[in-house]
Amino acid sequence: MMQKELLFQVPEIKPAPSQYPGSIEKYEVIIDRSKCSMCGICAEVCPSYIGASPIDYEAYKKPNGYLRLTVPKVSCTGLSCKRCVNECPNSALSVELSPQYLALGDLRWTADLILSTWEQAEVGRVSKKHEYKIGDSGGGFDKLRFEFELEHKEIHEDDLVDEENRDTSIVLNKRKDGRPEIKIPIPVYGADMSFGSVSLNVMLARAKAAEAWNTFTSTGEGGYPDVLTQYKNHVITQVATGHFGVNAETLKRARIIVLKYAQGAKPGLGGHLLADKVTPDVAEIREVVPCISLFSPFPFHNVYSVEDHYRHVQLMEDVNPQALISVKVSTPTDVDMVAIGSYYAGAHILQIDGGYGGTGAAPDIAKKNIAMPVEYAIPIVHNYLVREGVRDEITIMASGGIRTAFDVAKAIALGADGAVIGTAELVALGCKRCENCERGKGCPSGIATTDPALKYFIDIDWGSQRIINLYSSWKEQWSYVLRKLDLKNIRELRPNDEVQFRKGRFKHMVHLDHLR
Amino acid sequence: MKADYERYHIAAKDAPPKIKLPPKFIVNRYNNCTNAQECTQACIYGVHELREDSQIAEPIQDLCRGCYMCVLKCPKGAISIGINPEFERLGNPYFSPDKIKTIYFEAETGRVPVSGAGYTGPFAGEGFDSIWLDFSEIVRPTRDGIHGREYISTSVDLGRRLQSLEFDENEKLVSNVPRTIEIPIPMIFDAPLSCRTNRNLQLALAKAAAGLKTFAIVNAREYSSDLTHYEANLIPRIDSDEIDEFEDLVKISQIVEVEFRGGEIKDHLEKIKATNPSALVSFYFPYDKEAPERADAIARMGGDIVHIHVDDGVVERDPDAIKNAIRSVHSHLVDKRTRDKITLIFSGGIAEAAHVPKSIILGANVVAVGIVYQIALGCKVCYGTMHSQDCQMNVENGDVELATQRITNLIGAWRDQLLEVLGGMGLREVRRQTGEVGRAMFYEDLEAKVFGDKE
Repeated sequence: MMQKELLFQVPEIKPAPSQYPGSIEKYEVIIDRSKCSMCGICAEVCPSYIGASPIDYEAYKKPNGYLRLTVPKVSCTGLSCKRCVNECPNSALSVELSPQYLALGDLRWTADLILSTWEQAEVGRVSKKHEYKIGDSGGGFDKLRFEFELEHKEIHEDDLVDEENRDTSIVLNKRKDGRPEIKIPIPVYGADMSFGSVSLNVMLARAKAAEAWNTFTSTGEGGYPDVLTQYKNHVITQVATGHFGVNAETLKRARIIVLKYAQGAKPGLGGHLLADKVTPDVAEIREVVPCISLFSPFPFHNVYSVEDHYRHVQLMEDVNPQALISVKVSTPTDVDMVAIGSYYAGAHILQIDGGYGGTGAAPDIAKKNIAMPVEYAIPIVHNYLVREGVRDEITIMASGGIRTAFDVAKAIALGADGAVIGTAELVALGCKRCENCERGKGCPSGIATTDPALKYFIDIDWGSQRIINLYSSWKEQWSYVLRKLDLKNIRELRPNDEVQFRKGRFKHMVHLDHLR
Repeated sequence: MKADYERYHIAAKDAPPKIKLPPKFIVNRYNNCTNAQECTQACIYGVHELREDSQIAEPIQDLCRGCYMCVLKCPKGAISIGINPEFERLGNPYFSPDKIKTIYFEAETGRVPVSGAGYTGPFAGEGFDSIWLDFSEIVRPTRDGIHGREYISTSVDLGRRLQSLEFDENEKLVSNVPRTIEIPIPMIFDAPLSCRTNRNLQLALAKAAAGLKTFAIVNAREYSSDLTHYEANLIPRIDSDEIDEFEDLVKISQIVEVEFRGGEIKDHLEKIKATNPSALVSFYFPYDKEAPERADAIARMGGDIVHIHVDDGVVERDPDAIKNAIRSVHSHLVDKRTRDKITLIFSGGIAEAAHVPKSIILGANVVAVGIVYQIALGCKVCYGTMHSQDCQMNVENGDVELATQRITNLIGAWRDQLLEVLGGMGLREVRRQTGEVGRAMFYEDLEAKVFGDKE
């Protein structure tokens, strides 16, 4: 394994444009037909139209009486340009936010975050056109800033180019217990998503990207499809309460085994896979009858105490003496007690999945109301483990609502070692957060689906390249943060002592609501 | 042998609304469409269909779920999707369009709303939205209630409880154990807003209450003769100045609610108990700063139930109002050691299923569901400002069954969600949730603990 790490080469960014002819644009140019003389000046001055002829300006009628220019595959750069508006001799043009943009996304994943993630997946870097750091939820990561962000509001694209390319690697086993250390070059790995919640192509694309970045992805609770074994060094085997496809073979194959005690989106509840998505393929791998809704039990009925938990972890360690054991928990009031329990049970990795985490299907009441956001849980757990003197013997991976490179950096600055990324990877594959993954054919974009036809929307090579590109862009942003903070590597970003905000400040971080 | 135990079950039946909600998304097709028909392939919900002449028909707006596949797959950029302004105008900031959509779904299907992707709303909010519920993990076992694998009770008792039992030297019970009435769900129906009350609505409410084995409150003045069939499930609300006028209603009711307008609590109580000694007496009044004291006084004087109302309009302006009301009354009674003597009912601002367990955790025993069932029947939450011509909440003579089923479905869906929460918390019965604030996490506390100066 050591050798592999030395040989690791940062994967190349290759363009992976959208596979569709249309696009969702942030801006659109509206033309008032009654004023337009069809002179074509607008086409000539448009920076996006360099080389295009005025013929590309095809005007057509909108139902409300206005007209709109077609802009096939060419993006309007937005309100900062407005050259066409200013140059139009008849004042016939205006630039507006497009209705698509206004309808897309939500407070956590804003339209800007979705579009910027797509952009990063396509070209491997960010542009200034979209906000790519924060959402609009009004709290947590969206109110936290690095102190240097208060000085310059925007990152210049030149800022991001980092010759030094700082070290963003983390180590997953800190116990020094003879098991492999497992170093990953970026502080993230892929979240648990089952075969059933997502398609096989998506799993393979994610696994291939994980291999390229020498990090991991996870089987989720739906079993270990055979074709995934080609990436077995980069696939985490999940043991969840449904125990689908959990056997000695799949456990022995894995370098990391994750015991899923709870999931942030539906804490206290078992997995939900509604009947429509239990196709014969899914049923076979889960060893169940097709077309029946699968509600996993909750909790593990062999784990009702911290002693049971110890035995559970030990059992996994016995089955696979080389594997690291990750314990995935959500965030109840006593999440710190759970954390210390898992430490003493022998876990190498503690994954804290916050209440706003993703899911393929969960009751709305659970998604909104149960468990605390991860922004609170990270420092609570970190501080407790620091006080107990064991913080440096366990790796904390945060998940559940971590959307951007800056979210990851903030999670680390709050006390996590790294993050586990789910939704962002799917957004890179074209997810629009439309919330329709749970029933029927599942995902219309062919991501969270088991429909045999829809799954072909996602090409494995294309998909893995999109995820590779996203992480390339993220790595660049982490390097930028480290350079701004004058830190050599991302491990230094994680505080060693307790996180304690004073007047809204803690080390490199400020919280805008508490800043005094 | 007939089993004497029957598991409580709320039978849901599809009950589509008479007037549909406006669709959330608007799909526009511009006239540069070249009939490439990519959209018909792209849409798995059937928004884009072909006409008989093989041309694409107008988009069917109702079916759109905002996945944008048609926008992306159209080679001409001829389709746009936007939010329907008519949908956005629904309700008010508190009863948001999405909340109303959820209420419609629950009333139509009786199912628990389930969706994919993570939570899409704000980090935290005011009132109920500033509370996260706790759940059990590893060290505290959960219960698997929703799928029937373990039994969880949602029953609560209405009435007065003794703090202790007394026995004489022959070990004979000497305490006079007061009567309580058990209802299988911690929810009753509040009287409808007066703006659009009609006999059919009252009837549907009474039938739903009877079917659910709970109670509906009816203003005594609107207690029509066709309701008497459901008297076992109705609570007449009588103005405290007018108790004498409604002696007949007092006689036939198991519970009587006195709308407290002053006077002596004791006199009101005695008057009702004189007419119907077995009736439970509930005192109803709006929350104000004297409410905690008054509740305590009622508990001491021998009242059975205190029902405190926070006006929905007040909650709309200040969502914390209901949260603060429940907490302050509950804590005051705990301080005065009278909390366990009586049943506390709260109403106002109850807008979604999660508000039931949250109210109970804050200190309520029972929640009186008010405007929500009216929304399920078409109410636009105008609080009487739109007057009758725009009001869509009108239960016609032929619609009583439909209205009953929609109300029943709504409560069925809410009970199932309550079971999800109780199961997640590892609680076997909802009685044990009352006042358990340790099972909730408050935004203010966590924010101060983690990002504030407070340790």
